[in-house]
Amino acid sequence: MSRKIIALLLAALLCVSVLAGCGAKQETPAEDASPAEETTPAETPEEPAEETPAEETPAEETPAEEPAASVTVTDMTGREITLDGPATRVVALSAADCEVLCALGCGDALVGRGEYCNWPEEILDVPVVQSGADTNIEQIISLQPQVLLMSTMAQTEEQVKALEDAGIKVVVSDAMDIEGIYTSVGIIGKLMDKEEQAGEIVNGMKSTFEDLKAKAAAWEGDQMSVYFEISPLEWGLWTAGTGTFYDEIANILNLKNAFGDVAGYAEISEEQVIERKPDAIVTISMYYGEGPTPVEEILSRPGWDVIPAVANEKILNLQNDELSRPAPRLAEGAQMLYDFMYGE
Amino acid sequence: MKQRREGFRPATYVLFLAVTAAALVLCVCLGSVSLPLKDTLRTLVRAALGLAQDARSLAPSIVVPVRLPRVLCVAAVGAALSLCGAAMQGLLKNPLADGSTMGVSSGASLGAIIALAFGVSVPGLPFAGTTVLAILFAFGSLLLILGVAYRLDSSLSTNTIILLGVIFSMFASSVSSFIITFAGERVKTIMFWTLGSLQGSSYQNAAVLYVTLAVCGAILLAHGRELNAFAVGEDNARNIGVYVRRVKLTVLICVSVLIGVCVSVSGTIGFVGLVTPHMLRRLTGPNHRRLLPASVFGGAVFLMLADLLARTVLSPRELPIGVVTSFVGSIVFVYIFFRSRGR
Repeated sequence: MSRKIIALLLAALLCVSVLAGCGAKQETPAEDASPAEETTPAETPEEPAEETPAEETPAEETPAEEPAASVTVTDMTGREITLDGPATRVVALSAADCEVLCALGCGDALVGRGEYCNWPEEILDVPVVQSGADTNIEQIISLQPQVLLMSTMAQTEEQVKALEDAGIKVVVSDAMDIEGIYTSVGIIGKLMDKEEQAGEIVNGMKSTFEDLKAKAAAWEGDQMSVYFEISPLEWGLWTAGTGTFYDEIANILNLKNAFGDVAGYAEISEEQVIERKPDAIVTISMYYGEGPTPVEEILSRPGWDVIPAVANEKILNLQNDELSRPAPRLAEGAQMLYDFMYGE
Repeated sequence: MKQRREGFRPATYVLFLAVTAAALVLCVCLGSVSLPLKDTLRTLVRAALGLAQDARSLAPSIVVPVRLPRVLCVAAVGAALSLCGAAMQGLLKNPLADGSTMGVSSGASLGAIIALAFGVSVPGLPFAGTTVLAILFAFGSLLLILGVAYRLDSSLSTNTIILLGVIFSMFASSVSSFIITFAGERVKTIMFWTLGSLQGSSYQNAAVLYVTLAVCGAILLAHGRELNAFAVGEDNARNIGVYVRRVKLTVLICVSVLIGVCVSVSGTIGFVGLVTPHMLRRLTGPNHRRLLPASVFGGAVFLMLADLLARTVLSPRELPIGVVTSFVGSIVFVYIFFRSRGR
């Protein structure tokens, strides 16, 4: 008997939760549909998904108060995206896109951020949306962005389609190298009507890299090798090989990536690090204020004392993703690495 | 069939020890970095005699501080996991019982994650917090699963236990994910926990493993005869005078302690506890007086070789050991299964 009651209760709970989910979805677009209809002139040229859902009006493109000329960008998958005007409400799923937005001075336009977006600090108040496999389409729609910025690896085709059916433009920025960062800054700059600032950022980065490259090339000592430690020994050593930003920066700075023969991010053997004897180690381990710091931990590893980096205590701890993200901050990271390797 | 001696002869133990030692030497001599055999052996001998090492050679900084402790840890983990698998399969009369299928490993790693996320630590022993919680959670999950299984089905049938084990595994990993979601900045580090890594194994880890293995392993081995009785049936065990409750509790505590310690050192490694006892049963027969000791050595050798593959196949890269154990283990398992059926 009691089992039946429990089963009924569970069934009821299930119904309620399903309904609750639907309710949230229906409420938001409906509420905002009325003001949207008032302000929207009838001349919305590209509204393909207009009539699809039966009763509820879909979340329409709400153009800015004074509609500027439409904006067309080609994203990094080659798709052409047209907006009625510069975007004022943006959800960014990748940490790099968040950083680009803020560097352009458009932090206010950010209405939702992916869970790994943590820089700069002021965006930490912006609501977090799930990204990757758990992307919560309902949640993104309820934030009513005009544009969703994401990288290709974060989302599936179906998810993109669902978002576009809801009237949200999806722009993919997926920089795989420094050249890609310039492109993505350009795309986001155009979207936000900040092309001038975008140009300044790109030029600033370019001149930093060129400057560092020239200075590093003038280094008279032997070429130094550097080992990038992405994950500490306790969890298995991971390093950054070719095709990563770490490697690209190392090349610019005339440094030899100790694991330049490995592709991408990979777990590597501790023995290999000892054998390759890097001149410097860059670790990105976080320090939580207890136990040994990441640098102390590396210095204390048995057998590592034969590594020049450990013997000379030449270990740099970067804690804020300076070298891992396709964002303007990469130039600062490169500068930090240069200062560390070559001294001031 | 001829009446066979129940346990192994001392000569057989010598053989087992020799095979294990050979595997150990092989695994210490081979590795991601290929060192001249002479250097490796000289380093080992000098370290054993406490002599100064050759400063020009690379071997002293690799063999003694890095490779040897890892191989020792791997051997102990393999021995412990497969002994646990053999004991549980006998106790529960269940060919699919194992730390990972029964959810004990997931329980243990949940404990370890809680210790990491909330900074649980035993004063003075930085390593102990995760271990203690992993053991407690391993034992708790075993009790919970068996308790619920008894309520549902007092005969403790295979299906019930495996089903509950799988459900509990999912439950434990969902709670783990939940904690990881809220652990904020520590997310990344904790995620690696669930994958498990034997890199960075130290002599302290090895010492903890071997002490645990010596104590719990001895207790389990001493219960071989009782486990034989359980393998026929719990009622049978009771009828021939086995103190069912006490034996069961003893075996379960030993299994939880072993799995808990293994998980806290190496993360969860699947398949070893499940497959090695089955492979060895083909050689030793079902008698636990033979199966249990064979599992200790067989598990150690199997995991050492699996780890050797993990370290060397993609050098300089390293594979997660679970990938190797599952891949090799399942193929070997199917092969043995078909051969023994086909006869």
